Amino acid sequence: MSELLRAPAEIKYAEELDWLESIDDNPKPFSWRLSPKMVRLFVLGSERADGLDREVAQKWFGDRSIVERSIVTLASDRGLLLIGDPGTGKSWLAELLAAAISRNSTLVVQGTAGTTEDHIKYSWNVSMVIAKGQSRESMIPSPIMTAMESGTIGRFEELTRSTSDVQDALISILSEKYVSVPELESDGGGDNIVFAKPGFSIIATANSRDRGVNDLSSALKRRFNFVRIPVVTNKKSEAEIVRFRTEELLRRHQIDLDVPPTLLDVLLQSFADLRASSAAAGSDDEKLESALSTAEQIGVLEDAVLHSNFFGERALTARTLAASLVGSLARREPEDLAILNKYLHGVVEPRGKEEGGSWPEFLEGGREAIAKLA
Amino acid sequence: MSAAPETPFAALRGQLHEAAAEFAGGGDALEGILLGMVDDVDRAAGEPLEIFPVCHHSPASALAMARRLREKQPKVVYLELCEDMAPLLTELRNCRLPVAVQAFAGDIDGFPADWAPLSVVAPITEASAEYQAIAYALDTPGVELVLVDRSSDHVFQWDTRHDRSGAPDGTDGDTAAPAGAAGTAAPATKAAEAEAALHGEAVGVEIGDLRPRFAELEEHLLRHGKVRHWSEWWHQYVEVPLGDSDHDTYRQVMFLIGSLFRRLAPGDGDRVRVDEDRERYMWTRMREHLTATGTDPADCLYVCGAFHAASRVDEFGVDGTTGADGTTGFTISPRTATTWQYGLIPSSHTAIEAQFGLAAGSVSIAATQWAKNLKRTRVKPYRLEGQAGAKKPAPTKTAAKAAVPVVPVGAEDRLSGFLRRPPVVDTLDEAELLGWSVDIVRAARRSGYLASTADAIAVFETSILLAGMRDRAKPTPYDFQDAAVTCIEKDSVPGRRDVRRLVEIMMGGDRIGQVGYDALPPLARDVYDRLAPLALNLEQRGVRRALLDMASEPDLRACSDVLWMLRRLMPPGAARPIMGERRLGERSIQESWDLSLGTHQRALIELGYEGVSLEQVLEQRLRRTAYGPQATTAQVLAAVEDATLYLGGRRLAEELGTRALEVLAAERTVDGAPEVLRRVRGLLAYYRTSEAVLPPWIESFVRTGYAHYCTLLPTAFRDEDATAGQVAAMLGFLFSMESLALSLGCDRTQLELSVAQSHPQDPAKTALLWAAQVQLGTLSRAELRARCDELLGNPLVVPSYPRYLSGFVHALEPVPGLADVVVEAVSNAFGRLPDAVLLPWLPVLITTLRSNATELAPLLIREAGRIFPARLAALDAWVPPWRQQPVALAAARTRPDSTAPGGVALLPAHPETCDALAELLGCADGWEPAGTASRRPSLTDRHPDTARAVAALLAGA
Repeated sequence: MSELLRAPAEIKYAEELDWLESIDDNPKPFSWRLSPKMVRLFVLGSERADGLDREVAQKWFGDRSIVERSIVTLASDRGLLLIGDPGTGKSWLAELLAAAISRNSTLVVQGTAGTTEDHIKYSWNVSMVIAKGQSRESMIPSPIMTAMESGTIGRFEELTRSTSDVQDALISILSEKYVSVPELESDGGGDNIVFAKPGFSIIATANSRDRGVNDLSSALKRRFNFVRIPVVTNKKSEAEIVRFRTEELLRRHQIDLDVPPTLLDVLLQSFADLRASSAAAGSDDEKLESALSTAEQIGVLEDAVLHSNFFGERALTARTLAASLVGSLARREPEDLAILNKYLHGVVEPRGKEEGGSWPEFLEGGREAIAKLA
Repeated sequence: MSAAPETPFAALRGQLHEAAAEFAGGGDALEGILLGMVDDVDRAAGEPLEIFPVCHHSPASALAMARRLREKQPKVVYLELCEDMAPLLTELRNCRLPVAVQAFAGDIDGFPADWAPLSVVAPITEASAEYQAIAYALDTPGVELVLVDRSSDHVFQWDTRHDRSGAPDGTDGDTAAPAGAAGTAAPATKAAEAEAALHGEAVGVEIGDLRPRFAELEEHLLRHGKVRHWSEWWHQYVEVPLGDSDHDTYRQVMFLIGSLFRRLAPGDGDRVRVDEDRERYMWTRMREHLTATGTDPADCLYVCGAFHAASRVDEFGVDGTTGADGTTGFTISPRTATTWQYGLIPSSHTAIEAQFGLAAGSVSIAATQWAKNLKRTRVKPYRLEGQAGAKKPAPTKTAAKAAVPVVPVGAEDRLSGFLRRPPVVDTLDEAELLGWSVDIVRAARRSGYLASTADAIAVFETSILLAGMRDRAKPTPYDFQDAAVTCIEKDSVPGRRDVRRLVEIMMGGDRIGQVGYDALPPLARDVYDRLAPLALNLEQRGVRRALLDMASEPDLRACSDVLWMLRRLMPPGAARPIMGERRLGERSIQESWDLSLGTHQRALIELGYEGVSLEQVLEQRLRRTAYGPQATTAQVLAAVEDATLYLGGRRLAEELGTRALEVLAAERTVDGAPEVLRRVRGLLAYYRTSEAVLPPWIESFVRTGYAHYCTLLPTAFRDEDATAGQVAAMLGFLFSMESLALSLGCDRTQLELSVAQSHPQDPAKTALLWAAQVQLGTLSRAELRARCDELLGNPLVVPSYPRYLSGFVHALEPVPGLADVVVEAVSNAFGRLPDAVLLPWLPVLITTLRSNATELAPLLIREAGRIFPARLAALDAWVPPWRQQPVALAAARTRPDSTAPGGVALLPAHPETCDALAELLGCADGWEPAGTASRRPSLTDRHPDTARAVAALLAGA
């Protein structure tokens, strides 16, 4: 495990999943490895009242009903489309669900402008085709087809980034649940058709900021249940998420560095302020380009931690945090910088005078960073 | 109460004791709580006066109530509701529920003045236990309904919220803060917001508030119940298991829950004190009633919230603590001197949910559940005879049947059985769920979703799966809502409503009550009567368009009067004129209105608390404004205007006018001068055109005003607080009313003297003074110009020149004739002022002009248009008139005798046409040139081209 930069969920939590599977006596749909209730427990963590012998940590933070709706959708006939702003944890939830249900979260197709139908269905091993002709052996199945064959969950990341003809290839997979291979001759045994086994489903994710790039056709929409993942605005659970993810990242980078709670508060508060100002902004020019998601916060914090670890005094300071915040959020030259400048002087400065704490240092750091960028 | 039999709950006590010993080591708080709960149940169940615990918006409570009433036929029903609201309850039959009983106090006496107006509402829905009790008691002969809770007055007397923070904090006992307060459920849509605000700012009281008093307990219950809202928890864990249980079980379980929430509550002293005081109050009242009427407690039923049923106050019970004289130790404090008005106002499910912090849709779901329970159990509910909005008239009831022998209450322990029973699981009602699934798909399609039968199947399947995940066989409406959102909602909402809202509507939707005509206060009825000629159903909600053609139907004038008064008195939107206006001296002959009186019924009813007719209310309000301690002259004049506009007749206008006079005489500042000037001008213009003689009050007002402003003028000129605008308005009053004032016996010398006394220091006011002097003739225009020039020429004064200009702009108001000078001054400023002085002043000029846009700007623009060239081409050669003037004057002076006939040079030079015409007319004398010898070259000599062209033309013809 230590040899992997980032282990997929099923490897990372393999032991926990094994244990859950061993105690799970609820009915399981299809070929699911865990029952829906256990999947929920795996994702949302256990409580004392669940009466388990060991504690299961919460892995995804958000509304309970979102997880329930997602699990139930996978148990039904339809695919699951997680939609939301970037950085709201869509892919992480998809990974956790796939890992819990089929112990394989790596059957992923990444949707891009260059994704073709081959990436969803199958392609050919050209040298084998030359040597042996077209046959099942010379066929290279796509992750989705592999999932169909094995009755597991396939994942499609950023569905709306791929072009509509590629998207539409999913329609037949989701409704007929088979892929025909016309290149192969039918010998009556259905050899030129790949059927999906029970348990197959698709979890797709889509970025709501990409709306209008490649809109889903209504036929495809009909085959997906949409579950909208909101940006976490509850400060308490956001703090929880940031702490959880940062700890994980620090462990991965093998960095031994403390994140002082006051600085975490500063980070959360500044994001909350910036979100409020974005919500109040009239035009796009008045709001930051960034979606100000929780993932972005984690990014800012990680950046600051790495910076202080390798270039600083091995302790996180408000100054570094501010520099990292400005660095991550200023994407458009005049607009974003102007907004951050306004924020620093209009909100942080008075707060620093009033409350003191880390805010004055935060302000200093922010000013310096802006001065460098401007 | 210690006499309660020990036997019934002994077994349960033993078990709980053991349980406490096992889980907590025994003898500690847990045991205290567990056994205390049993004690509470025991005590309440053993009470000779039957206590009927209820929970609000609980169909199970309502059903149990209906059943119990039929069975027991009590002779007296004591109800936990403000006792002063009793007389109104019979009016409920004229209304379509839900409506709220309201106690309202506009003038308060005994409370801090800033609390006014006070308002208490008690919403009543049809699916509630209290309505069952009310309907039974009112429609059954020989049954008495006694409201025993503290009066509306005490609600505020005991209200500690105001003392604490000033901000209401959600619920307090059974009272809830206004719907607008923070912490209440946020309604989904704007329309819902409007409906949620139906109760206005009122404090809500409700029977049977039953909810954990501390957040952690509620959170715990919700989490483990796998439900999202309290209402949902209640439904699943109390409502369903209690379903068809018998009366005793129902009572004991409710006592137990009440006791649980009571014992597991944080020690919020104020809240507990109010609750206990209320319990003391209720028991004291009941005992008083029992003693006074001699009724047997066994014939009575006491309906109260389960929370209060588990009370531990000493006064509890018929045999509670009594003093030596037979009364209790609790003395009820007297009411304050505040006069309370009572009425019914429309309510709605959304309003109730918002006010009491319930989940959206929960009251509607309760109503649906109630209807279903009735059908299933065939219990005949009580319903007030002739209840408006009812589907069919309730069967007439005869005298109370011979009551079934009263079952000895609290005899058995039903609790143990209930608690030991496995959880009751609502079985899946497949047909119902299928119906919902089909309906939601149909509704979604109607609002633009691309939903199909496949979706109905998916919703059905998902609902069952979701319910399974949440450990229940039957999907609750909330599970169904989740399923519908999952399956039907895509990335965008095509129509006005999203799936969540559609499900809410489908589950019963909001129901908005209506107060029937007969239950309305006289004023509201009067309004409806007077608007009857419009032939519109104004009692219905929604906007109605009224078209009034007064030319063809003069009768409608009366309606128009009513509408204008409503517009003045009601909140915006209740009556909105689309076409037509009413101003002094103006009346439209055609009007069209958007009326939504049905939607604003509450406001109309609250208007009814103030008087019996619109005129009376308006008169009262105008008087109140005029005689208020803070009234200013301008406000009183506005009241005079309103009185003239809406009430006609001169009596009130004159009375208020006289009052305006008094206020003016007492005023020592000139803050309101601009407004006073505007209003007096308007009124004067009106009286001059519509009346033969001016009313005496306005004559004296002008007289007094003239003297008053003359007196104040020197002070105002010096006073730093008085703005140039105010001084200008004073001067405006003095100059524009001058002729009238002089005719009424004022003396101009007074004005001249006061102007002479004025020595302003502020440049703007100095400019004003100069303008006044020009108007009075003590300063000539030439001198004024010279002064302006001097200012511009003096580098020390130049920076303050713009402020002089501001004064001049204001001077246009009193001395409009000075417009050309002002234009000149402004032009000079633009031409000669350095930018550093000019630019900062420009915004000031613009704002001044903008604030007085209607009066000053047109004047200035017209004058400027006259002076400046209209076309660009002419600009190059243009010389401002004020620069030309000296030349022109000089020319005039160098022409001592104007013998030359300026304009007739052409005629003597070319007399032929004239001669020919004269000849035609029979005048043959011919042209006699007069003194042509001494003339200078004529115009035609200087510019002969035109004449030549004409000649050529004529020759050609």
